[in-house]
Amino acid sequence: MAFFDPAGEAAPDPVLAESLTKSAAGGLTGVLQVIGDPGGAIYLSGGGVIGVRTPGAPSLEVIVLRSGRVPDDGWEAAFAAAAAGTPMTAELITRGLIGAGELEALLRAAVADALFVLASGYVDQCRAEPGPVSNLLPLDPPAEVGWLLAEAGRRMNVLAAIPGLTSYQRARVEPAPDVVTAGTVLGGGRDELLALANGRRTPRDLAFALGRGVYATTLELGRMQHEGLLVTTSHRAGPPLPAPPRASTAPAAPAPASPASASQNSAGQASASQNSASPGGDHPADDGLPRRRRGRHSEADAGADMSMLLRLLRPRSSSD
Amino acid sequence: MAEDGLLDQMQALRDRVTGITGAAVASRDGLIIKADVEEVSPDNLAALAAAWLGVAQRMASEAGQGVLREAVTRSSGGYVAIYAVGRTAVLLLTGDEGLDVGRLHRESRTTVNNIEALLASAGPRPGIFRPAS
Repeated sequence: MAFFDPAGEAAPDPVLAESLTKSAAGGLTGVLQVIGDPGGAIYLSGGGVIGVRTPGAPSLEVIVLRSGRVPDDGWEAAFAAAAAGTPMTAELITRGLIGAGELEALLRAAVADALFVLASGYVDQCRAEPGPVSNLLPLDPPAEVGWLLAEAGRRMNVLAAIPGLTSYQRARVEPAPDVVTAGTVLGGGRDELLALANGRRTPRDLAFALGRGVYATTLELGRMQHEGLLVTTSHRAGPPLPAPPRASTAPAAPAPASPASASQNSAGQASASQNSASPGGDHPADDGLPRRRRGRHSEADAGADMSMLLRLLRPRSSSD
Repeated sequence: MAEDGLLDQMQALRDRVTGITGAAVASRDGLIIKADVEEVSPDNLAALAAAWLGVAQRMASEAGQGVLREAVTRSSGGYVAIYAVGRTAVLLLTGDEGLDVGRLHRESRTTVNNIEALLASAGPRPGIFRPAS
């Protein structure tokens, strides 16, 4: 959950940060399932991140296909060839679809973007699953966890610094009524955003539609809104109310008030669900670390179900 | 009106499941009942959804696989999923490439049941709802 410390700075969700840092310190090779909204999975090799998958951020495939950087049939051919054994990265490069340097840069950006989305979202719990990982497009060399978390925090603070916007990642936006006359070109990627902002799409949805990063899209949209080019029509509802702490777990930490109180309302109420602004939000357990046990009854299986279903339905996107 | 309830159900699902871009409820004979879609034709979708549901159910039966739960197309640009709503209607969902498939599986059943209840409470409408043949 987006989290404000008493100094008023945004920071990556503490449950995620703690679990990820521990996994890195332990040199984990395996998957860290992130159960939450949007939730997802982080793939690690020797404690470094080689991939992140989340419904909240476009994969490298979506980025290169939607933006037109790589044609559909080229991707399909590379994928088919990779199924026969050669790494997909090599297939993309040898087919001249993308250069090695650009591919690595885009992949690293996609991983950082996905981690930002996880860290600024709602995290119920994380579960480490050690074991071999095989990703279609592994990031090589792996990304360092400390850097990823610091970068996510930096981005959250940049967004938080735009005045007047709360819970902007969950806002559905559309052009302001009198904004653009025919023939006006705004440049900087803004025209495409205005064209696709239809009052239904959130920044994440627009990022997917255009094949751009969620952070970059959110930042640009936030600036456009601040300048009066966009208005918010509604907010996506927040995560459901937390369940009471389970009796069997560590010294009961009362669930933080913030996501609960606002999550059922849209628009102006949504700010609390994202920003978790109440200073007394997370009560430390005896060991001093924040605990959050918002047990939704099906969540224990959620990660396993989700990853299995995703592997069945989208075998290609187990990485990026 | 039951149709407002339908819209509420579809919008609630769109709120809860990341990546859903649109939803529509259609009758089994291919007429749109309520749509919450962007940039696609609800009438075309309704006609196709009804036809597809029929074929999908036949396929499940032909393959000896019991009751159809869901039929999905996965394309380079996203997903379409359909669900039988009782015996008289079909729910269609569109999603982008990042559709949270796991969450959809957990949430769709409840939405289908709620829509079925809403349609049942609306009562039969001549020309739209016919007894299942």
